[in-house]
Amino acid sequence: MSDRITVEELAELMKKAAGVTVAPAELQERYDSGFDAIGVDSLGLLGIVGELENRYGTPMPPDTERCKTPRQFLDLVNSALLAGA
Amino acid sequence: MSEPHPRRAAVTGIGVVAPNGTSTEAFWKSTQEGISVLDRVTREGCEHLPLRVAGEVRAFEPAAAVEERYLVQTDRFTHFALAAADLALDDARLSQADTDDSPFSVGVVTAAGSGGGEFGQRELQQLWGKGSRFVGPYQSIAWFYAASTGQISIRRGFKGPCSVVAADEAGGLDALAHAARAVRRGTDVLVAGSTEAPLAPYSVVCQLGYQELSLADDPTRAYRPFTSSACGFVPAEGGAMLVVEEETAARERGARVRAVLAGHTATFTGASRWEESRAGLAEAIRGALDEAGCAPEEIDVVFADALGVPEADRAEALAIADGLGTHAKRVPVTAPKTGIGRGYCAAPVLDAAAAVLSMEHGLIPPTPNVFDICHDLDLVTGRARAAEVRTALVLSRGLMGSNSALVLRHGADHAS
Repeated sequence: MSDRITVEELAELMKKAAGVTVAPAELQERYDSGFDAIGVDSLGLLGIVGELENRYGTPMPPDTERCKTPRQFLDLVNSALLAGA
Repeated sequence: MSEPHPRRAAVTGIGVVAPNGTSTEAFWKSTQEGISVLDRVTREGCEHLPLRVAGEVRAFEPAAAVEERYLVQTDRFTHFALAAADLALDDARLSQADTDDSPFSVGVVTAAGSGGGEFGQRELQQLWGKGSRFVGPYQSIAWFYAASTGQISIRRGFKGPCSVVAADEAGGLDALAHAARAVRRGTDVLVAGSTEAPLAPYSVVCQLGYQELSLADDPTRAYRPFTSSACGFVPAEGGAMLVVEEETAARERGARVRAVLAGHTATFTGASRWEESRAGLAEAIRGALDEAGCAPEEIDVVFADALGVPEADRAEALAIADGLGTHAKRVPVTAPKTGIGRGYCAAPVLDAAAAVLSMEHGLIPPTPNVFDICHDLDLVTGRARAAEVRTALVLSRGLMGSNSALVLRHGADHAS
């Protein structure tokens, strides 16, 4: 497990927590698309945050599940992980 | 000011996912042949429980019926509902493009008795096994009774009136009546019905407290209502969704009007008070006939509730006599659910589907596994009976005390 959450890991979490399959390369292309357009709703994003918190054993910032795009989301969780490391 | 043409609710599509078939055609073939598919419970985690026999839907492939996100986010009872809704809409020839044109004119109403037990059990095991942080957020909606209504409307983009009837097993008929009322109030199309998935371990354990549940282990003897060997009911999963729409608009768009939902009444007489259900069910029958403007003699077949508990069977036979008078001695009565089990709210919706098919085929399906009737009823047993069926009466009672009756008329009788 790397100390940074990658697009690959986000794609895997989207599939596991919300049942939404998007290939990492496509997710990279849709970095600034809304999660809603990608098919991940608010409960799905909440599930992804919970899964990350369990994996990394650290709480994510309170607004993580409100991120609108994959870029916002990865920037926020990675800065939190970096600060916690 | 009276309307020259009151809005009437027509059935234009039927979608069935049942223990004896995962299409309406397969369901009807098995039903009219009187085949029983009741069998030993094989669902994982249920093998050691005292419930031995059930009606399992074994031919259903969730991954083939719904998209991956619904597999992850919803329970099996919603998978059934989404699949049955697709079948019903296809049958009514209402495509996604058709409903996208007027999303506010399409609504959904379902009934559910047990909710998403399998999904709920999985998440509760996470809660007690690992802790609250391991419970997925979809638990908040997937096990809820209302899940199927919401997910059908989300998946198909329907924005018309959506609702859920929580009214015990008889709620299945109440959902159809609610759809008919919504049509009369001005909505063009309702997708209405019920599906259930009560065969997960947690759900089965919940049902073990029902004194009416059959724990017999011979599938041919476990569910035999109206006989002296009646020993309770066998539960089942699956169900049906119907497309209910305004009759004139349906005919104008060239849809096949398969039946008209003509009358309905619901009453309540208390949990497991079967002797008292006689009066409640009789009142429901009278109310449904009255709303339909239907004389007792016009009823060509009765689809019975058929609980399989002697006291309840006696009350139902007497209620039919009370509600239909002398016609009760002549009218054919059937209970095809003895071949597939009793799917709680879904059971009377499957009966309503069978009633429509019975009218179309001129054939009353039999009551599998039932012989030697000990009540004063003309119960159709053994093989299907050919008959002209223009009007059908469907009865349902719930373990918690609800009673409902629904009158359906053959669609062809109402051509304008």
